[in-house]
Amino acid sequence: MKEFEIRFSGSGGQGLILVTRILATALISQGLKIAQSQSYEPTSRGGLSRSDLVVSVETADYPLATALDYLLILDELAIGVSDDIIGKGCLIVVDSERVSSKPKGKYKVHSLPLTSIAQKLGSKRVANLVALGALAGLGGFCDQDTLEKATRHHAPKGFLDLNLDALRAGFELSETLPPSQISNK
Amino acid sequence: MSISPENELENLEGNHACAVAAIAAGCRFYAGYPITPSSEIAERMALELPKVDGTFIQMEDEIGSMGAVVGASIGGVKAMTATSGPGFSLKQENLGFAAATEIPCVIINVMRGGPSTGMPTRPAQGDVMQARWGTHGDHPIIVLTPCSVKEIYEQTIRAFDLSETLRVPVVVLFDETIGHLIETIDLSQTNNRKLVERKWASGPQEGFQPYAMTEDSIPPMPRPGDGYRTHITGLHHGESGFPTQDPGQVERFIQRILGKLDQHRQQVESYEAFECEDAELLVVAYGITARAAKRAVKQARAKKIKAGLFRPITLWPFPETVFCSLAKGTKAVLVPEMNAGQLNLEIERHCSDSTRVIPINRFDGEPIAPGQIFEKIQELVSK
Amino acid sequence: MIEENIQRFDIRDYLRTHLFPHFMCPGCGHGIALRALLWAIHELGISKDKLAIISGIGCSGRTGAYIDAHTIHTTHGRPLAYATGLKLARPDLEVIVITGDGDCLAIGGNHLIHACRRNLNLTCLMLNNETYGMTGGQVSPTTSNDRFTTTTPLGNYEPVFDACALAIGAGASLVGREITMHVTALKDLMKEGISHQGFSFLEILSDCTEIYGRKNELGESAEMVLSQKANYRSDSYGNQVDEPFKPRDITTGILAKNDRVEYLDACHQHKMSKLQKAMNT
Repeated sequence: MKEFEIRFSGSGGQGLILVTRILATALISQGLKIAQSQSYEPTSRGGLSRSDLVVSVETADYPLATALDYLLILDELAIGVSDDIIGKGCLIVVDSERVSSKPKGKYKVHSLPLTSIAQKLGSKRVANLVALGALAGLGGFCDQDTLEKATRHHAPKGFLDLNLDALRAGFELSETLPPSQISNK
Repeated sequence: MSISPENELENLEGNHACAVAAIAAGCRFYAGYPITPSSEIAERMALELPKVDGTFIQMEDEIGSMGAVVGASIGGVKAMTATSGPGFSLKQENLGFAAATEIPCVIINVMRGGPSTGMPTRPAQGDVMQARWGTHGDHPIIVLTPCSVKEIYEQTIRAFDLSETLRVPVVVLFDETIGHLIETIDLSQTNNRKLVERKWASGPQEGFQPYAMTEDSIPPMPRPGDGYRTHITGLHHGESGFPTQDPGQVERFIQRILGKLDQHRQQVESYEAFECEDAELLVVAYGITARAAKRAVKQARAKKIKAGLFRPITLWPFPETVFCSLAKGTKAVLVPEMNAGQLNLEIERHCSDSTRVIPINRFDGEPIAPGQIFEKIQELVSK
Repeated sequence: MIEENIQRFDIRDYLRTHLFPHFMCPGCGHGIALRALLWAIHELGISKDKLAIISGIGCSGRTGAYIDAHTIHTTHGRPLAYATGLKLARPDLEVIVITGDGDCLAIGGNHLIHACRRNLNLTCLMLNNETYGMTGGQVSPTTSNDRFTTTTPLGNYEPVFDACALAIGAGASLVGREITMHVTALKDLMKEGISHQGFSFLEILSDCTEIYGRKNELGESAEMVLSQKANYRSDSYGNQVDEPFKPRDITTGILAKNDRVEYLDACHQHKMSKLQKAMNT
């Protein structure tokens, strides 16, 4: 019954919950059920932040992540935090500029310049959407069209184009990565 | 929020589901005080109540919120408050007033780590006993404990229905994990439900006895302004509603308010029994822990281990008759809880000597994972 | 006066006489305050069916039960919170709170200041007898200096709360004080308070004869009432209280009144203006 589990992790203020919401909306529009949970420190900016989605066809028996299929690490702070629940064959995307170390273990890790791509588009604050596009492109758990619709639904007014550009840039980036390059052994 | 209009599915946070359900149940008054992790309920009520001509008020403190809720309910309006551990402690005296004077009201407690300020943003299940015995003296109370966003919606509505019909305060008790969990729920089937109303006094005003014994042990409630001009007091009172110290009257009063839950047990009790029929090993769990337990039971069944899950939805009064019949003949009962062992005490009380009762406790702010329960099941079977 | 048109006041029309004898000690000032209240209700023509009396705990709290209305005897210090809920739920009811100095100023102080701030249309009658009579005569926030109570065996040395100054400071839109010696003036003040659109706070100086009076050798009830008069200054129908702690220097009458917008009116106006704005845009 379980389809997949995904975690967006980084530091507070990076818009992790927003991308989780966008993905959640996209997935239920495809008839899937989601369970979204998050954890953050009692500050609005900074501090460890993570947001999880457990995606299933029927309501998940256990709604919290126990074996991640996809993981985003957008800040060095989040390194090591998810180690106990990274599932077999998990696909991990880390921001190459903000994260210097790599998760230990045999995972598929992509270290991608998410922040600088976002910066080129106009603001490093949309690194979250670049990441979402890249993860979805690599993982294939949600198509670009549906995610764009969901982004239109959730993106803050005035920043819609920037958010859409970021999402598209993420998908484009994923297409440039040959599968053979991605293994971290 | 669905993209296409024909899609009735919605991703809703537990706390929001609670507020939306309260409105659907006919709640038109909310008084509260900000406290993590329940504040989203107040925030959503502040948004929703004006749309239905209801009243929202943020009071000066937790005590005042509970007082205002009882005051509004005396006025005939369905009323609710929401809080967490420290606030729940402060509300207890006025909650006891509502129990003694039989004023319907709903109290939501989104549990966080305790004692004291504890861990405001982390989940716990430490208020199980407080929910039962938080206010002083013998008193009736109903405690419902949902385990999903959908169930928060359903049980919040049920809380109002039970409170209004039985004239008992109802606590909806869930942990921070469930309160902040966002799940996909289908609200399309929940529309157009018939509102449950409390039994109002009608008939002659002369000689009206507001606390008279009735066949169902629930006296009809006089509505202010309807001409009954009755007295409501937290002092022990006779059928007339006026204070008494007459031992006979006091005994009848206490017996009636305690007895009414026994009398209406069938309506009050609710539970889920999953794979219990042939279970040799029973897991008893509630809230987020019950969902971990369900997965563990499924894993056990996949390995041909005869495990089952008993999940009380009505935590108090505990559905003891059905539990006893299910526990009979089992070798062990596992009680995972996010506290140092609270429901465990109740379970021990209902199990015979031949059944081992084994607690699994966690109070570090992390939920009990399915694996932790499954490992314990395996360990017990291999012994 | 319009009173000619009003049916003669018979207190028994407003009392639950079947509960008599009442619990009050001989000479207790609360009975006088109760009479003044029922007289005021009579003259205002308030229907008993539309009247809700909410009280807290203590001698003041027990007084409400004798009124033939919808009476609610709540928990210690909380009658204003209950009254806030009831009034918001049922603006059609006349909601009057009867509280005491301990109930209102000590355990319930927080509710008082916020009720003053909100300005919901409630009337709060605080019967001040300077002591916790029901529990045997302990010191209260209004016990005068040097007075003996069971918890100030050497005399009270704590500063005395001026409840009216507090209420004015917190924004109550009508604040008044009267002594039980002046029954008619007390009745008139209550009428004014009840008719006022907003939160009215009235302090009523009442005597605890049996416990506080005896302990401090203040004489029989008649002497205590007379001493109210001795302390009463005829030029004191002033409009302000200049010092927060001024024991036994009694100013009576209306001490403050303003036309600050009432809570539910404010709520309604706010909603309307938002709707107007929404329609204009």
